[in-house]
Amino acid sequence: MLKKEQSDLLTRTGPGTPAGRLFRSYWLPALLASELSENDCPPVRVKLLSERMVAFRDSQGRLGLIDEFCAHRGVSLWFGRNEQDGLRCPYHGWKYDHTGQCIEVPSEPVESGFCNKIKLKSYPLVERGGVLWTYMGPPEKQPPLPEWEFALVPPEQSFMSKRLQECNWLQALEGGIDSSHVSFLHRGELNTDPLFRGAKANQYNLGDSRPVFEVVESPGGLYIGARRDAENGNYYWRITQWVMPCFTMIPPRGNHPVHGHFWVPIDDENCWSWSFDYHPTRPLSQDELRAMREGKGIHVKYIPGTFRPYANKDNDYLINREAQKAGRTYSGVEGIAMQDASLQESMGPIVDRTKENLVSTDNGIIMARHRLLRAIKALMDKEMQPPGIDLAHQHVRSAAVVLPPDQPFIVAAKEALCVRAGVAHASI
Amino acid sequence: MCARAWLMPRSEMILSESARAASATEAHFRINDANSRPLAIKVIALDRPSENVVKQLAQLQWTCASFLTAVASAPPAGERFSMQGWLSDLAGHTKNLIDEIDTADLVVMVASGTENVQVASLIGEACSLKRVMTTALVLGTASISDAALSQTLAHLRPWALMLVIASAEEYITDMLAALRA
Repeated sequence: MLKKEQSDLLTRTGPGTPAGRLFRSYWLPALLASELSENDCPPVRVKLLSERMVAFRDSQGRLGLIDEFCAHRGVSLWFGRNEQDGLRCPYHGWKYDHTGQCIEVPSEPVESGFCNKIKLKSYPLVERGGVLWTYMGPPEKQPPLPEWEFALVPPEQSFMSKRLQECNWLQALEGGIDSSHVSFLHRGELNTDPLFRGAKANQYNLGDSRPVFEVVESPGGLYIGARRDAENGNYYWRITQWVMPCFTMIPPRGNHPVHGHFWVPIDDENCWSWSFDYHPTRPLSQDELRAMREGKGIHVKYIPGTFRPYANKDNDYLINREAQKAGRTYSGVEGIAMQDASLQESMGPIVDRTKENLVSTDNGIIMARHRLLRAIKALMDKEMQPPGIDLAHQHVRSAAVVLPPDQPFIVAAKEALCVRAGVAHASI
Repeated sequence: MCARAWLMPRSEMILSESARAASATEAHFRINDANSRPLAIKVIALDRPSENVVKQLAQLQWTCASFLTAVASAPPAGERFSMQGWLSDLAGHTKNLIDEIDTADLVVMVASGTENVQVASLIGEACSLKRVMTTALVLGTASISDAALSQTLAHLRPWALMLVIASAEEYITDMLAALRA
């Protein structure tokens, strides 16, 4: 359980909140690059950390992420005309450049310099790895650009999707580090999903539904190791990475691409679940890309034209009780992502953590909360830079390895848990 | 973001069961009675540094945690010892291991290094016999060498169903609070 004030501290991320300040220390994924695919394309509404903004790519390809509302009468600039190096409000023609600076107020004499006095709040927006990243903190504390491996490999080696999840970010994150649910909720997918099936590791998983867990602090967050018996007295380890505040990376299977998530607050009751797949040493195959686009693995099918999953709470997630009874899916909901999201959304927009009864296998969740609370306090009290900003903390991989029983995975799998250029991920 | 409003025609805006049940409004109607009874959690220090941590921890207010040490009565290496007489509470009163385990829902073993860590097997065996869940917590790892950590983990692994390696001593306070101790 968590006290209400602690839960509030972790779940509220709007402007001026402590957790909001924590999130505003990092580069966060804001949009897919494909959402602003060409110069002067339509602007896109963006809501992050409870702030409403509009993103656009101007005539020179410069990216802007600015306050959504015109400084004149409060019209949404989503209706704006993206033309000639700026976004023009269609109401009275006020025009803003990619930094939010007003560059034209047609009703005022140019010589008056009136427009120079008008500037909308803006944040930097930078493209890297098919993602547009933003940093919403104080400019003087802007960290170096993110160096997650999926964003640095050649584009043909990675795939990124995002989906709306209708609950608080922490609920979603906690699902990402809760390794013990996999043996139940997702057991139907291991041998059927094209992005998982065929790996030798699946035999270990399906043969032992009661793994033993080890939680170890890492420089940027946590390693969460799940241990199962392997041959000759060795252990099969699946090691998940959590890097603060909201990056998780799932251990790989066979030669399949490795995948993970960012859980980014939209507001306190919704978040973006970003889902990446990449292979460190080879392009993704056409079959893999097709499967990802069709919503397999950790991706989803969408309501056309949106990032809302096709199976969602308005259609009861298309739950199929016959499939549940027959064991084709464990919960009756199809697909790994929606199996997770359906249950996490069912907890309510912000789950009441004062009523939960955690058990010792929930230590990954307990430790993550502990580290987040510690980081927030250190940031608020001492201005200490939180973990996960240092680029070394981002140069990480998840891993699946077989190790002798007497070796700590943090020692024996040390290399496998770091990015190694030109070397494939450690997987079985 | 109100996804419903912009995704569905007005005629279809009748909430599904899941949509209605997951709303903030419906959260107010959740039954507010207690949904669990207190668990008996026994926290056992395996070595002297951990004993100090556990002693400090015992000063805090807990509902259902009790604190023990396996340090004082630990036999010198190679000597036999009695199952009856080597566990004690923090006041130094001898406790019977089996009795203690028998009344526990969860046993948390706390270690800080390699000293005395072999007693984890005795505690673990008793827990295994009585089907009691075990968690092992290794504290202060920043000052332990990789070799010493390996040795500690090798002793703990067979007997801990959950193993946590924490840099900060206060983690144990947070962990026990999270477990409603």
